[in-house]
Amino acid sequence: MEGESPLERYLESCSGQDDFSTSPHLFIPMSPYDLELPIQASSQLSQSKELHTDFSSVDLSFLPDVTQDNKEQNLSEDGQETQKELDGSLSSKEDSGVFMDESSLSHPGAAQPSPETPGVCPPLTPMTPITPTTSASESSGIVPQLQNIVSTVNLACKLDLKNIALHARNAEYNPKRFAAVIMRIREPRTTALIFSSGKMVCTGAKSEEQSRLAARKYARVVQKLGFPAKFLDFKIQNMVGSCDVRFPIRLESLVLTHQQFSRKEEISYEPELFPGLVYRMVKPRIVLLIFVSGKVVLTGAKDRSEIYEAFENIYPILRGFKKPS
Amino acid sequence: MAARGRCPECGSGSLVEDAHYAQQQLVCAACGCVLSEGLLTTTYTDEEHLREVAYSQSTGQKEQLSRCLQRGIRRVQDLCKVLKLPAAFEETAVSYFQRALELPAFHLVSLEKKELLGGCCVLVTCRQRRWPLTMGTVCSLLYAKQELFASVFLSLQRELGLSVPALSLADLVTTHLSSFRLVQPNANIPAPFLEDKEQLVARTMAIVELASDTWLVTGRHPVPVVTAAAFLAWQSLRPGPRLSCPLARFCRLAGVELPPPAQLRLKELLEILLAMASQLSWLRGFCLDKKTVVKHIGDLLQHRLFLLKRAFSQQDTGLGMGSVSQECQGSGLPSSPAVPQQQGCPWAGQQQQRGTLRPLLPPCLLHPRKRLRAAAPSAASAALTGDEPISDSEIEQYLRSPEEIRAFRRAKAWS
Repeated sequence: MEGESPLERYLESCSGQDDFSTSPHLFIPMSPYDLELPIQASSQLSQSKELHTDFSSVDLSFLPDVTQDNKEQNLSEDGQETQKELDGSLSSKEDSGVFMDESSLSHPGAAQPSPETPGVCPPLTPMTPITPTTSASESSGIVPQLQNIVSTVNLACKLDLKNIALHARNAEYNPKRFAAVIMRIREPRTTALIFSSGKMVCTGAKSEEQSRLAARKYARVVQKLGFPAKFLDFKIQNMVGSCDVRFPIRLESLVLTHQQFSRKEEISYEPELFPGLVYRMVKPRIVLLIFVSGKVVLTGAKDRSEIYEAFENIYPILRGFKKPS
Repeated sequence: MAARGRCPECGSGSLVEDAHYAQQQLVCAACGCVLSEGLLTTTYTDEEHLREVAYSQSTGQKEQLSRCLQRGIRRVQDLCKVLKLPAAFEETAVSYFQRALELPAFHLVSLEKKELLGGCCVLVTCRQRRWPLTMGTVCSLLYAKQELFASVFLSLQRELGLSVPALSLADLVTTHLSSFRLVQPNANIPAPFLEDKEQLVARTMAIVELASDTWLVTGRHPVPVVTAAAFLAWQSLRPGPRLSCPLARFCRLAGVELPPPAQLRLKELLEILLAMASQLSWLRGFCLDKKTVVKHIGDLLQHRLFLLKRAFSQQDTGLGMGSVSQECQGSGLPSSPAVPQQQGCPWAGQQQQRGTLRPLLPPCLLHPRKRLRAAAPSAASAALTGDEPISDSEIEQYLRSPEEIRAFRRAKAWS
């Protein structure tokens, strides 16, 4: 899977797409399984939108234009195969992330060569989420691990929270404290806040796909409770990642050196208030919490690539504090 | 309004309403005699239609300071007087306060927060002029909650875009120690406990520098470090009668409150000093412990650069090390990986005096608390697409059975 370039995979999928002619966004009678299709369409749309922006740096100029305006073409082309291809590239991203993580666990501090993507040429910038690292000499070899994803979705129907709390085992509802039902599921281990307007917030997932799956499960629970829940506007609102640079950092010196080179990026180090240093990076717009132990927490991302990019931006600065050993 | 009547002078009937500099006048067109002027109102009906100018539209509001602002400025000035700050600080703090209160972020907040805003402006001013004022002091003066103060301070920093330099430890030492009662002659304090201020400040400063070199200060609250350092300095200047005095009693004598982390900082400082003492040639003969090493702090500080290099291995990434060894001549030190080459070390073959050196790392890395490491995401979960089919049985496990619902209804009596 990793040896294949995303380009080759896309071409394979294009050959398979002719089987699918139905545009899934037509109205389909409500029944538990059929409801998947409209959801899939909107999800594919959002997925493909997100991913097509990510692929912007890859040279796919000879393929038919798949821009945001071409929604119709998009939807008709999107079938199971294309979806698999997109998910395949996503999973290769994750695989590479896993690969990096496991190998970085076994070889602490050693620089990792970037996983092979031979089909994609050098124009890949570090921003591409296909591989989180660039060339071997530049990269930190450390990949931030995602710890929490917060997403929202609109179920598009008014909900009776008391009813839900009565009929669901995994729900708690205390209107005096908070005006939403707190529901939890075991797999993926997440928590959801469900409001009476039909809006829902899903937290606790460790990846975008898990968050989406969890949100769908909550929507299914609500459906089974008798409400005509839909799955509209699924959006990831926040992603939190963390990693360890494996050497201690002199936070006081970091504040001083920062004042010399950049004024736009805000740094706040108040040991009286918080033991870590708060670094508000401007591009990408991410907040990093840097601790003396070398652990870094990155938050405020809407996309995984922002976390990787932010870490790659901060690592050279932190590396300056590493004592040569 | 139609002009009525006749001109008293020339008797002509042509009267005209004219305005002389916006003042209405009734003038005779023939001879120019002014019949009446300065009429404020015309008729009753006219009065009803005219509207007054509201205060919010007038210029009066802009020129006058609002009551809230006045109160806030007074509070800032009082704070500066209590803290005995120079006059220039007061002006700066007041200007910050005025700027901040105009911003929407602070204009509509609760009164409590506005009070804290004054304190934050004073704090920012002091930080910028390198006047060591701690947040704890300001909070206690304002009777403020620490978290609320923190949030107001951070938002002030962000909104006004101020660069607030860090608290300088050296200045903090001077200010903190001058509040100690031990440095002034006092009837309540026994003579052996009194100390000269200059000496105490100098030695405390050296110990605080040592602490910051050995990672004891980064990320920690500064005041407990200064308290612990002052205690060690005070003990070491006259160990005889003072060694038996514990930290708590020292703080009581000094008239300073004992911050809880100070005990831990003291312990860490003593560990560092013991490690350094093990490298000092004329101390190797002694078996030093936490009490006795205090006597030699003067020597240790004098040679601290040399001792730091020798006492701690320079590898930063030696994270395999466990606990810090207790230095005593005969104690067996825990074995560890690569021992760095030490030049001129004739003792290398001997008893593990030099055997294993602890790396110079922050305490959080030396004593990592046991944490549940989340397992790396397995390949199965990595292949998740988010669009998998969801089985009915899985969802049904989350729904209550009818019996349960009945039982719940009875128990909770849902309205």
